[in-house]
Amino acid sequence: MSKNTTRKFFTKENLKTLFTGYNVIKAIVFVIFIAYAVSLLVPFLWMVLNMFKDTGEFNDGNVFGFPLVWKFSNIIDTLKFEIGGQSILSMFFMSIITTALGTFIHVMLSVFAAYAVAKYDFPGKKLILGAAIFTMIVPIVGTLPAQVRMMDTFNMNDSLIGILFLYSGCLGFNFILLHSSFETISWGYAEAAEIDGANRFQILFKVMIPIAKGSIISVTILQIIALWNDYSIPFLFMHSNQTLAVGLQSFQAQFLGKQQPLVFTAIIISLLPILVLFAIFEKTIMENTVAGGLKG
Amino acid sequence: MAKRKLTLKKKKDYIFVAILLAYPILQFVVTWAFVNIESVLFAFQHQGLRGTTWTFDNIAKVFTDIFSSSSFNYSNTISDEVMTLLNSLGYGFITIFITLPLSLVFSYFLQKGVPLSNTLRIIFFLPNIIPVVALTLAFNIPLKDYGYMNGLVQMLGIPGGDIYGSWPTSQLFIYVYCIWAGLGYNIVLMSGAIGRIPKELFESAQLDGAGYAVEFFKITIPLIWSTVVTLVVLGLTNVLTLYLQPYLLTNGTGKGGTTTIAMEIFMNANISTQYGYTAAKGLILSLVWAPVVLFVRNRMSKLYSDIDF
Repeated sequence: MSKNTTRKFFTKENLKTLFTGYNVIKAIVFVIFIAYAVSLLVPFLWMVLNMFKDTGEFNDGNVFGFPLVWKFSNIIDTLKFEIGGQSILSMFFMSIITTALGTFIHVMLSVFAAYAVAKYDFPGKKLILGAAIFTMIVPIVGTLPAQVRMMDTFNMNDSLIGILFLYSGCLGFNFILLHSSFETISWGYAEAAEIDGANRFQILFKVMIPIAKGSIISVTILQIIALWNDYSIPFLFMHSNQTLAVGLQSFQAQFLGKQQPLVFTAIIISLLPILVLFAIFEKTIMENTVAGGLKG
Repeated sequence: MAKRKLTLKKKKDYIFVAILLAYPILQFVVTWAFVNIESVLFAFQHQGLRGTTWTFDNIAKVFTDIFSSSSFNYSNTISDEVMTLLNSLGYGFITIFITLPLSLVFSYFLQKGVPLSNTLRIIFFLPNIIPVVALTLAFNIPLKDYGYMNGLVQMLGIPGGDIYGSWPTSQLFIYVYCIWAGLGYNIVLMSGAIGRIPKELFESAQLDGAGYAVEFFKITIPLIWSTVVTLVVLGLTNVLTLYLQPYLLTNGTGKGGTTTIAMEIFMNANISTQYGYTAAKGLILSLVWAPVVLFVRNRMSKLYSDIDF
């Protein structure tokens, strides 16, 4: 539609009807928004409401009221509960360890790689960037058996080291994100530091990383969330030391339909660290969630 | 970037780059290249009791399974193999034709300002940060006989109250879950992209007398096109990669004919006798599907390629 026809179509009368029509649509969308928001919140609020009930009380039909007897011991009972000889509490700590170490290694290496590719000229740098984009947009499936074989060959199957090795892969989305943020930083800062006698490592750690702090923090938080929630890798490659996400699945498979309040407690426990993190860094997280810019 | 003329300086630069990149590249080569090559080899191998032999049987079996399957566990007309393919293709379809347009419209209104828009945006973000294990339970539990949404299951007259009891109901519920959980992610991404469009563009369009429809189709969509393309690509890759949602919703069984291509592979990952077949199937499907994804991406990127702001 050219500008002229646009003008003709949007005469005063038309605009008037369109405007009211727009308001009707807006009202409908708002109602849908509220319904959607409610559908997302209610399941968890309902679980919180029921997690302190006695199983008997819940099964007797008190599913919507407040607990007649507040059973705070449900939390301790759940944490102490063992699946395959491992308590939920130990799974919780296992999750913290894998998430903390995994995130640290991944972010550190992503920063190194992104900085080198963004700021230095060397043969093959386009290839690295291309490979990172290619692996993200081209689905290659069926390689899981080969991955299992690889982990067996390196004797890393069923170990924390193995999981960390897989998490240390850094030529992916975060690499591309950090690469573009390093690219926007002027090399002048480095030159100034060089005159002051800084070497390449000092420039990276004392000049460049502090400038790129914003994107590094957001990548870190998003990675913490991703690893805390990860199911597949710990499930496949660390069966004897389960993380909470994996353990929660086995826990609910055993107890859903029998002891709902305990399952609800376990679900809420698995959410808490993430919700706290989200509450603190909500702005950083939301502002840095982007999907555009995958050019290449 | 400064031009570095001194050879000694250049040499030191290379050493520095090599130190930074040594591990990332090594890790990539091992986990990606090595694994993919190994996987291609698997496709032509038979892992038997007497060791490994070379064969085309895996490749042949993939085709015979799809075109002349004999197992009809969930339907009389559609074989299990074809059902798996249909289920998987369905994820691409719903992401691109339901979740994406819905979230486009929703994001537009969210950005234009509806009451409570900031609170809503935070709530919509929740599916992205909640562990998928917990989110699938939040979807399943209310529908159980003690849950508050069980009325819906009874109203639909689902036999035994088991929503994953039979195909296609089972699959439809999983699609509903994926839309429910995926909408939030899409809305956050797109309303973020719309938020980055300079306000002056909308203002000058309004001065030209453009209405909301024109603003939506002629300004908003072209300017967030790269985000749209990325989400379409993600939708298309879902066809081959999605398994966790149906896997967790059905408690790791894939019952009710809800298996997907990737789920079959996931469940076979630890069964060494299936290595060859799994790898062959993955190889063939990737060879068919990857060009489709790349073609769609290139075509779509060209549509509004000259727009910049």
